[in-house]
Amino acid sequence: MSTTKRKSLIISPELCIGCRGCQTACKEWNQLSATKTTNKGTIENPPDLTPNLFNRIRYLEVPSETNPVRWLFVSQRCMHCDDAGCMKICPAPGAIYKTKEGIVAYDKEKCIGCKLCVAGCPFNIPRYDEKNKISKCHLCSDRVAEGLVPACAKTCPTGAISYGDRDDMLAKAHAAGYQKLYGQADLGGLGTLYAFKDAPKVYGMDENPAIPESVVFWHKVLKPLAYWGLGGAVAASLLHYVAFGPKKDEEVK
Amino acid sequence: MSDMVRKANAFEILNHWVMAISFFILTITGFAFLFKLEQMNAVFGSFHQMRTIHNWTGVVFSASLFFSLFSYLIEALIFTGEDAVWLIKAGGYFSKKMKLPAQGRLNAGQKGYYLLLLLTGGAIAASGFVIWLMPGVKKWILISHLAHNISFDLLMLAVPSHIYLATLANPGTFRIMVYGTVPLEWARKRHARWVQKMGF
Repeated sequence: MSTTKRKSLIISPELCIGCRGCQTACKEWNQLSATKTTNKGTIENPPDLTPNLFNRIRYLEVPSETNPVRWLFVSQRCMHCDDAGCMKICPAPGAIYKTKEGIVAYDKEKCIGCKLCVAGCPFNIPRYDEKNKISKCHLCSDRVAEGLVPACAKTCPTGAISYGDRDDMLAKAHAAGYQKLYGQADLGGLGTLYAFKDAPKVYGMDENPAIPESVVFWHKVLKPLAYWGLGGAVAASLLHYVAFGPKKDEEVK
Repeated sequence: MSDMVRKANAFEILNHWVMAISFFILTITGFAFLFKLEQMNAVFGSFHQMRTIHNWTGVVFSASLFFSLFSYLIEALIFTGEDAVWLIKAGGYFSKKMKLPAQGRLNAGQKGYYLLLLLTGGAIAASGFVIWLMPGVKKWILISHLAHNISFDLLMLAVPSHIYLATLANPGTFRIMVYGTVPLEWARKRHARWVQKMGF
C-alpha cells in the first residue's frame, strides 16, 4: 500500500456487532493499560475515552415503530481532520503534527500540557495522561508508516472498520450507494469517515462539526493583527517623528 | 543645574521597570506561542520551560499592574475641561502652533493610556490565569483565549506608541523612569497646574 496518499477509515455502524475487538487490539498495539470500570448494564464500556483508551464502541438503542429493536454500535476515536482545531490552537511546535498520510499525530515530548487542544477539538477527543501529556488515537501512525493497517481495522472481523487510501475508499463507498459519507467535506475532510444510513444525529454525531468560531476568528484576524499592529504602531511612530518631529522644550507653549 | 521637581517616587520607578521588563518577556514568549517559533527552544530550553516562565512572569506583571493602581487610578478617572481641550487638539502632536491649556500631573493622553492599560492588562492577566488554572474547561478556555488575544493585539498597538511618546517624541521625559525628577522649567511648560498645586 502506498504511504504517500492520504489514508482514512470508513466506519459502518450497521456492520458492527459490538465485539470491541478494536478496543482490545488498539490497547495491545499501543500498549495501553486496562482501566477498572463498573458495569452499567450496557455493552458501552469504558463509558468514555480515556488517556488509555483511544477508541471505543458507543452503543445506542434507537427503537422506532417499524424497527423496535434497532441497535447501533458506533466506533468513536480521533477524526483526523484535515483542518484540525487541536493543531491550530496548539502553541507548541511539533506537539501535534500531520503525517504525510494525513494522520493527526502527536509528540508527547513536545506537548507542554496546556490543554488548549481540548478546547479546539470539535469532537471532544484529546485526553491527558498522568504526566499531563496529550493522549489520543494516532491511527497507529507507526504501523501506517510501514505500510501496515491500523490495529483496529486489522482486527475488525466484520468490515465495520475498513482502511485504505482515502480517494479509493470514497469512490468505493459512492459505488456502493452512499451518496455522501459523514465527514467527507467537514473540516477540510475528515480522516475518519462514517457510512451512515440515517441522519448523523441518530448516531449521536453533530450534523455540522466545525472548529469553534472564536478559534477561527483568532487564527484569521487576531494572529496577523498582532504583528501588523506592532509593526504598524512602530511605523506610525517613526512616521510621526519624521513628519512632525519631537516636542522640543523650547517649542512647547 | 536648574531646579528639579520629583514626578515619580522610588516605588513608582521600580514598579514601572518591573512592569516593563515582565511585559517584554511576556511579549517575546507570547509571540513564540502564537506563531510556534521553534527557534525559541534555543533561548528558553524548551516550550515547556517557556510556558512556566510565561505563566510566572504573568504573576509578576499582574502584581505590578495592581500596584500601579495606587499611583495613577484616581487621577486617571478625573476628567477635566483641560482634558477635553487636550483631546480635541490631539495633545498638540500634529501642529507645532497648537497652544494647550495648563495640565495637571497627567494629561488626557496619559490618563487614557493608563485606563486602556488597566483594562487590557487586567483582561490579559485574568484570562491568562483561567487558561493556566482551568485547563480543559472548554467554555471558559475559549472565552479566555479570545480575551487574551484581543488584549494582546490592543497592547501591541498601545505600548509602542507609549514608548515612542515617552522617549523620542518628548525629549527629557525618559529621565522620569530613571531618576524620577524633571527640571522645574520642563514641568512648568507641560504640567503647569501640577507645578502650581505643589506651590512652586
